[in-house]
Amino acid sequence: MTGNRLKAIFILCCALLTSGSVWAQDEPGCFDCHADEADSPVHTVFKTAHGSLQGGGSNTCTTCHGVSEAHNRRGRRVPPDVSFGPRWPSDVDTRNASCQGCHEKDQQLLWMGSEHQQESLACNDCHNSHEQKDLALHGEQSQELCVSCHTQVRSELHLPSRHPIAEGKTACVDCHNPHGGLGDAALHQVSLNENCISCHQEKRGPFLWEHAPVAEDCALCHRPHGAVNDRLLTARSPALCQQCHAAAFHPSVPYGSEGLPSGSSNQNLLGKSCLNCHSQIHGSNHPSGARLTR
Amino acid sequence: MNSRHRIPFQLTAASALVLAATGALSQDAAKSEQQATPYAPLALENRPLQSSALTGYAGSLQMGLGYTGDDNYMFGQYNGLSDDGASFIGNMQWQDFHSGDSYWQVSMSDLGLDTREAKATWGKADRLKISAGFDSQQQVRNDSGRTPFRGDNQQQLPDDWASGLTTGDFTNLDDSLRSFDRELDRDRLFAGIDARINENWSVQSNLSYEEKEGHSDVGGAIYIDAASGDSALLRSPVDYRTTEFDLGLSYDGDQLHLNGQLAYSDFDNKDDELIWQNPYSSYGPNVRYPAGQGGLGLAPDNDQVSGRLSGHYLFSATTRLQFDSSYSVASQDQNYLDYTVNQALTVTEPVPRNSYDGEVATSTANVRLLMRPLAKLNAQVFYKVRDRDYDADRDGYQYVRGDGGNQPDAKFTVYNTNHDLTSQTAGLELTYRLPLRSKLSFEYAYEDVERRNSAVEETEEDRYTLGYRIQPWSNFSARMHVQYADRAADTYQWAQSYYALLDTELINATPDNQRYNNHPELMQYYLANRERWEGKVDLSYLPSERWNLNLNLLWRDDDYDQSNLGLTEATWQRANLSASYAASKELSGSIYAGYDVYEGEQTSRAFRGGQEKNAFEIYPPLPQASDPQQNWDIDATDTSFTVGANLHWQFAPDLELELDYNYVDTTGEQDYSTRPGGTAVASDLPDVDTRLHHVQASSTWHMQDNLSVQLDYQFYSYKTDDWAWDGVQADTIAKVLTFGQDNPNEDIHYVGASVIYRWQ
Repeated sequence: MTGNRLKAIFILCCALLTSGSVWAQDEPGCFDCHADEADSPVHTVFKTAHGSLQGGGSNTCTTCHGVSEAHNRRGRRVPPDVSFGPRWPSDVDTRNASCQGCHEKDQQLLWMGSEHQQESLACNDCHNSHEQKDLALHGEQSQELCVSCHTQVRSELHLPSRHPIAEGKTACVDCHNPHGGLGDAALHQVSLNENCISCHQEKRGPFLWEHAPVAEDCALCHRPHGAVNDRLLTARSPALCQQCHAAAFHPSVPYGSEGLPSGSSNQNLLGKSCLNCHSQIHGSNHPSGARLTR
Repeated sequence: MNSRHRIPFQLTAASALVLAATGALSQDAAKSEQQATPYAPLALENRPLQSSALTGYAGSLQMGLGYTGDDNYMFGQYNGLSDDGASFIGNMQWQDFHSGDSYWQVSMSDLGLDTREAKATWGKADRLKISAGFDSQQQVRNDSGRTPFRGDNQQQLPDDWASGLTTGDFTNLDDSLRSFDRELDRDRLFAGIDARINENWSVQSNLSYEEKEGHSDVGGAIYIDAASGDSALLRSPVDYRTTEFDLGLSYDGDQLHLNGQLAYSDFDNKDDELIWQNPYSSYGPNVRYPAGQGGLGLAPDNDQVSGRLSGHYLFSATTRLQFDSSYSVASQDQNYLDYTVNQALTVTEPVPRNSYDGEVATSTANVRLLMRPLAKLNAQVFYKVRDRDYDADRDGYQYVRGDGGNQPDAKFTVYNTNHDLTSQTAGLELTYRLPLRSKLSFEYAYEDVERRNSAVEETEEDRYTLGYRIQPWSNFSARMHVQYADRAADTYQWAQSYYALLDTELINATPDNQRYNNHPELMQYYLANRERWEGKVDLSYLPSERWNLNLNLLWRDDDYDQSNLGLTEATWQRANLSASYAASKELSGSIYAGYDVYEGEQTSRAFRGGQEKNAFEIYPPLPQASDPQQNWDIDATDTSFTVGANLHWQFAPDLELELDYNYVDTTGEQDYSTRPGGTAVASDLPDVDTRLHHVQASSTWHMQDNLSVQLDYQFYSYKTDDWAWDGVQADTIAKVLTFGQDNPNEDIHYVGASVIYRWQ
């Protein structure tokens, strides 16, 4: 009788243990410790795009943090397999590998070898997947993240001539891919000119009368982040134009302060200077536009 | 005695040994700790705090009223606040990730302004995402100018216009001037879908339609030769439509990832031509006021079809090939305008074809091979090519000069040219990790650019870059970079553009020593020999957990050592300093300062005198062209100094304050020098100074967890004294009828009050 009882208890214990281990495999015990509390950000992830990974629940946790069996057993002493900090942060490669398990495509395709990868940036240095609003994915706020490191650009954004970056109407990520690219400055498009023309299609041409440097490189005349001179120009006209043009008569002549309103009010200096007449500086399709005046 | 003396010595020696061993061991331990702890970028710890009010709710709705104190065009250049008066503050965001594996997100902002935007997204986790929305942008420019012209793309003068040879003769100009807006509105509708077909394949597609409307400004001149032109600044209509569509297919395998995309972009300008009535009375009756007109061709309709393939292939854990290549064809075949808008002028020879009917095929390929041949050595081999290939006929255009006279003889025919270009860059970068979390890198790149119909057929550049990065302590990192680049250009064919443009009859009739457009000693800087030195330093230091300091320096010198005329040297120096302090979750602040100096030195030669060069009359060569005493120089320096500060302070559990200040001070200098004995005279131009102060303050009272009241205040002050417009009235320039616009001088106040409701 006693033997039977012992057998029954043993079988029951085995069953309980087995069912426990099965349960543990299905649902790791993350929430045994990480309760849904106001000051804990853990559960916020279920209100984000990552909340339903692997069917949701604690499987969502292990999708990014790893199975973390040791952490499951001794959570206060052993970190999860992948920890994003602030306590026990895993090394950068481990953290990034966790994200890249899903995000090594599309915009993140060329992460390896990128400037940010070479600088050992981790995905969670910019992104926070436990917040309902990941600021890195929102134009105006993402710019704050960018300029907190790229301080030289921060200054340029406030110069007299600029793109509407400070207003958040153009975001850094509209032109640059922070996850890397093979072109210059990790631009989205394959070349600088393609990048500019993706918004300024009216300058795409091709034109009957082209201005050769325009087709070659927009940055020969423009500074895209901001400039002291109007229209993002690298220098003021007429001096800018005269860097490349010294034809006989008016293009070769210096235009100093004698041409100001207190003097001769020179037509090649004041107003739009050269562009008072040669206004089609990006190219002309007019059959009489050989001099870019039509 | 000796033994007594020896004991302390032995003790001392033993102590020293122990200390040395301890030191050595601790040093080894420190070294191994340093080696074990990898490099970590600094300056990330003290970034702007993410307020839970901003990031911790599923939805929020902000509504209120704003008030702008005055009309303006600098403060409101891009933010939609250019008009004085009240405006509605409306922002909303809402997302739901609770409904099984599907989710949706909606966001709207600036609902009461012309910069409003909205986006809605619905998706099923990692399988499907559909989004749609709109984005409105606005740009306003200086609207203080006035014009006598009426109409849009057919601009007429008032009936009582008093014409004359110069603007000073326009006696009723003041009565004719009317204000106008220079404002561009850009509205874009977009939709996109991203669907995963199976484990490896997914498809994406995007469609967008954009309207850009408003007015810009443009200069137009009526003339018969380069010696004189009757110019007017005009309000230029902008009425663009752009439709873009793309379709992409992605493959994600274990080793191979591929993104393929086909895209189409169509640009449609509703206005082909800007016609204005000639306000001047120069030239013949068919050209001068009132019958005469000028016509400008506006941006032609065009389209582009493109394909792009990017991806990477993983050969092994340490070797990977990345590539991004594209092929696009941009076409433009808009019907030509007539040679002149003045139909009464004699034009005997029609345009050679009905349209340009030209194409440009642009091929690009960017390839990078990443390798790690040794544990501490990374290597990159890269190759880039960009080829721009025109397919357009070369024709002769017997063009009418500036709508100013009859069609000239056939010998004055000019020919269009294509500017084919092939640019190739190949190089190698090696990076080796050293102790103290340091890294040494070396890059060599060779760039070759071949051009057709250019003064220089080929330029070759060698670039050597040495970089070093070190993090000797966990709170300090330094990065340095030195680059030397040497660009060599083929023989500068200074007469190339002359021969490419003009007719052989004209060329043959021109004396050899006058066959050029640009002075033979001038080299266009982007085609010229150039030696470049560049240095960069970036230092980051965290004196404590709460502080972060960063110093960033740049120095670059471009020496165009073979250029006698043109840009001869350019120097760029930049220093940026930033500091941030995060005392607690409740208090953080940052300041930054930037100093930027760009200096360009250029030389030219003034050559004129006597008649306009007429190739059909044999003059002696223009004597001044070969006289170095006619040289003149500009030393142009643009300096900018920027300072900014930001403070975020939650001084009570329910009260938050955000302060932001930016100051910008820029100066543009142009100093001239001429040669003694020459006739070229030019004095230094006045400095162009610009000052900006921008204060933004925002305080938020969290009345309840989900309800806040926010007060905003902005003060914006902008002043400049640009000599190009300073004191320039509409009739100040004899041969340019300008807008007579003022330089910006704004002091703008903005206040806003709004209520924010949040929910989970």
